[in-house]
Amino acid sequence: MGRTKLYLDDDIPSHSKRVWRLFAAKPQALIGLWGVVILLLLSCFGPYIAPYAAEYQDQSALLMPPSWSNQGAVSHFLGTDDLGRDIFSRLLHGAQYTFGVALLVVISALFAGVIIGSISGMMRGLKSSILGHLLDALLSIPSLLMAILVVAVTGPGLSNVFWAVGISLTPQFVRSIHQTVHDELQKEYVTAATLDGANPLQIFWYVIMPNVWDTVIIQTTLAMSAAILDIAALGFLNLGAQAPMPEWGSMIMQGLDNFLFAPWTVTIPGISILLSVLAVNLVGDGLRSALAPMRN
Amino acid sequence: MGRYLIRRLNLFLATTLALFIILFVATRWFPADLSYALSGVALPTTQQQLQIEQDYALHSNVISQFLAYVTERLSGNFGISVTSRQSVLNELAGVLPPSFELAFVAGIIALLCGIPLGMLSALSRSKMVQKTIMAATLTGYSIPVFWLGLLLSLWFGIELGLLPISGQINLLYQIPKVTGFMLFDTLLYNGDYKWNAFADVLAHIILPACTLAVLPFTVVVRITRAAMLNVMNQTYIRAAEARGLPYHTIVLKHALPNALIPLLKHLGLMLGPFASYAIVVEVIFSWPGVGAWLVSGIYQRDYTVIQAGIFAVALVIIFFSILIEVLYTAANPMSRKEMYGTN
Amino acid sequence: MPLLDIRNLTIELDTPQGPAKALEKVSLTINAGEMHGLIGESGSGRSLLARAILGIQDPSWHITADRMMWDGKNLMEMTRLQRRSLMGDEISMIFQDPSGSFNPTYTIGKQLLEAIPVANKWAFWRHTRDKRLTAQKWLHKVGIKNPRKVLNSYPWELSEGECQKVMIAMALAKQPRLLIADEPTASMEPATQAQIYRLLMQLNQLQNVTVLLISHELDTLANWCNRMTVLYSGQVMESGPTSELLAQPNHPYTKALLDNMPDYDLAALHKKLMPTLPGSVPALRHLPIGCRLGPRCPEARRQCVNQPVLSHYKDRYYACHFPYHTEVPDDDLLA
Repeated sequence: MGRTKLYLDDDIPSHSKRVWRLFAAKPQALIGLWGVVILLLLSCFGPYIAPYAAEYQDQSALLMPPSWSNQGAVSHFLGTDDLGRDIFSRLLHGAQYTFGVALLVVISALFAGVIIGSISGMMRGLKSSILGHLLDALLSIPSLLMAILVVAVTGPGLSNVFWAVGISLTPQFVRSIHQTVHDELQKEYVTAATLDGANPLQIFWYVIMPNVWDTVIIQTTLAMSAAILDIAALGFLNLGAQAPMPEWGSMIMQGLDNFLFAPWTVTIPGISILLSVLAVNLVGDGLRSALAPMRN
Repeated sequence: MGRYLIRRLNLFLATTLALFIILFVATRWFPADLSYALSGVALPTTQQQLQIEQDYALHSNVISQFLAYVTERLSGNFGISVTSRQSVLNELAGVLPPSFELAFVAGIIALLCGIPLGMLSALSRSKMVQKTIMAATLTGYSIPVFWLGLLLSLWFGIELGLLPISGQINLLYQIPKVTGFMLFDTLLYNGDYKWNAFADVLAHIILPACTLAVLPFTVVVRITRAAMLNVMNQTYIRAAEARGLPYHTIVLKHALPNALIPLLKHLGLMLGPFASYAIVVEVIFSWPGVGAWLVSGIYQRDYTVIQAGIFAVALVIIFFSILIEVLYTAANPMSRKEMYGTN
Repeated sequence: MPLLDIRNLTIELDTPQGPAKALEKVSLTINAGEMHGLIGESGSGRSLLARAILGIQDPSWHITADRMMWDGKNLMEMTRLQRRSLMGDEISMIFQDPSGSFNPTYTIGKQLLEAIPVANKWAFWRHTRDKRLTAQKWLHKVGIKNPRKVLNSYPWELSEGECQKVMIAMALAKQPRLLIADEPTASMEPATQAQIYRLLMQLNQLQNVTVLLISHELDTLANWCNRMTVLYSGQVMESGPTSELLAQPNHPYTKALLDNMPDYDLAALHKKLMPTLPGSVPALRHLPIGCRLGPRCPEARRQCVNQPVLSHYKDRYYACHFPYHTEVPDDDLLA
């Protein structure tokens, strides 16, 4: 039985509920969210649903075009590369390297960034500015240069990519969190809480942090898209994941030799990178516009 | 204003110092002999070895080693390149101008296309135009630049055969290097094929510059749009309307300058990603710039090149970001508002 | 002929909850040379009405009116360009946030000079100097003591009162016939408020500028205006000459407003209730049908679910089914 609404009461939704409503009102943001969820699932279970192993070489089907072409076959849905490896399977295997590693990097950088940023944000004066400006120097080294530096020290490999991208992402988190904490500290309600006798820890956790999470979430989505692009770019430059690994960027690099007569070996991994970054950006955009009315 | 400039200068010096520290520490971690990593001399004679140890104070403590390191680097001694046996400083001077040229052209393209498009999407009444522009910029923001470069060179370079896809100029043209900026050098050159060479240089720069411009372009569009929407809602715009000023005067004279100020600030923050993209673009289009030089340096484990390249690029970025900040303060009377009444 | 004559103006706003009539059947008549007060609580649509008169609209507004005449010309039929030339030239407006009404990146002078028309079109070399002199003259007229310094300063360097004076000078520079002052003294000290009002009063009397003064304070409007229109929640309640309106309100809302004015002469009883209407102003989403005062009105009866038409009695207009009357309509009964 339908409940008759007698009174025109406005129920006031909670913060997260309101953000979710605004977010879900945009179809493109929801599509992005679905994309991210699918990518998450793929990076966990991709290897189990892939029809072939990542390194399996089908000698009878070298450089086979995707299945919708006349020469293609459904057995290799997105075609094969010059060694007869199934591109679709390699994409599924590679999701954990590109998207999964990016996620791990962002989570670790987020963790480090929140700790350093909130400490430096809560501090005042010289200590805070030393911490802030040291990180400014790190920030001025572009992520790719940072990766080159790390690779120069440790040699190429996917684990080094983790460090390289992580080190270049952390300062961004630190900077934005530092800035937000610092700005929040200036506001009147913090003074009010101080006058109520809250100690710095309480102020930080109960007063400031709830206002910082929005920034953290937005920064995370930004960092996520940057991380995917950086990992792929490093793979492409052969500084990250090494040759047989099905990391998407290095797949593009491996397909480069046959680019002219088998362009699908380059375009298909590229499109998958584009789509995953686009999904993350759609979510980020949706979140930003959902949070915007509350931040003003 | 003077105090402000001094504070910015201090910031520049402090950041440079921090950069030195990072590089110094990284150099000690390189998987190579320290004197080799510092100087690039692979098999030094005894005399050279002594000279290196003396230059970099390798036998004293870490602090004086660091000081010696900074002194050497600041006096222009970046060692020699392992592969080419040339002084790294000379090589650096050769590769920086093409990079600047590329970045400059790309930046101009991004600003010239991005600002009007951002204004259009902010002022357009039609939802269709707005959504198309936003969707296009979001896609542009998500495209992996190396892939875009490859696709563009495939389409325009190979299938259509319209544009050259590698290098800065056709090797047949012998243009003496005066400034290092090819666009100027061809103009300065007085030969029979001056204009052909200039056209060739222009044709060479189109693809890499357009590829590189995609990221800043999308960012410029989005920021201009956001700033414009914000400004158009201010009271002073309505007051200007109430004064009966024509619409284009309001948009161009009152709204646009106020919208460009936040754009300037974001441009400074965008330098890092821009440089990353530039490196990749240079590699794809074999552009003889600092990015391609650095990447080939890392393939060859050329430690002196890596240090010098990172130092140069990071220093340029620090310099420009501080310069943009100063410009932002100078161009923005609002920032004087914060200082107004404080001293 | 009245200077401005509006009949049954309705403005619908697009809100996330659907369209809402922010102004419903508003009629307003302003005669040339008068100082007309528009009183209403915040959210009653005063600023909306002012902007609709001026012609700065948002795309989300839907304006319908039976009649909107400016000095015999139909405003509804004008093109955007004609409206634009009318703004500034004949109708000017000053806003409630004077320092925010200046572009912060330009000096006051630059913005004031923009508004000043050139006297001699061909002598272009003298334009800047002429304009500057005119600007100084106007600034002097509105009571700014050091016009030259003010011209060279940025908006944030001036106080709110000075900004408002410059704003008035700017509005007057094209010598408009109607000046709409939307809460010109919000967030100002009483002394500055009085200055601004006196200035408007002087302009009205000396320059013959018609002024539409918008405020929420009945007592200030009562001091300065010849005629008043009372707005509640987007509907006109009552309109008439100030003295008559104050002496004998016809509408329950006007009476409530008058009762709200604290009376310092009589000693009030200890802990006596303030004479206010019950309830609060309805939100835009939950507007009552009919007379919007209905749920709060002490005189409300069943007929009030139909919106009353604006009745006309001598020089007074009121929209109420059960108005208070001074004169008993039928004199014979008394005899």
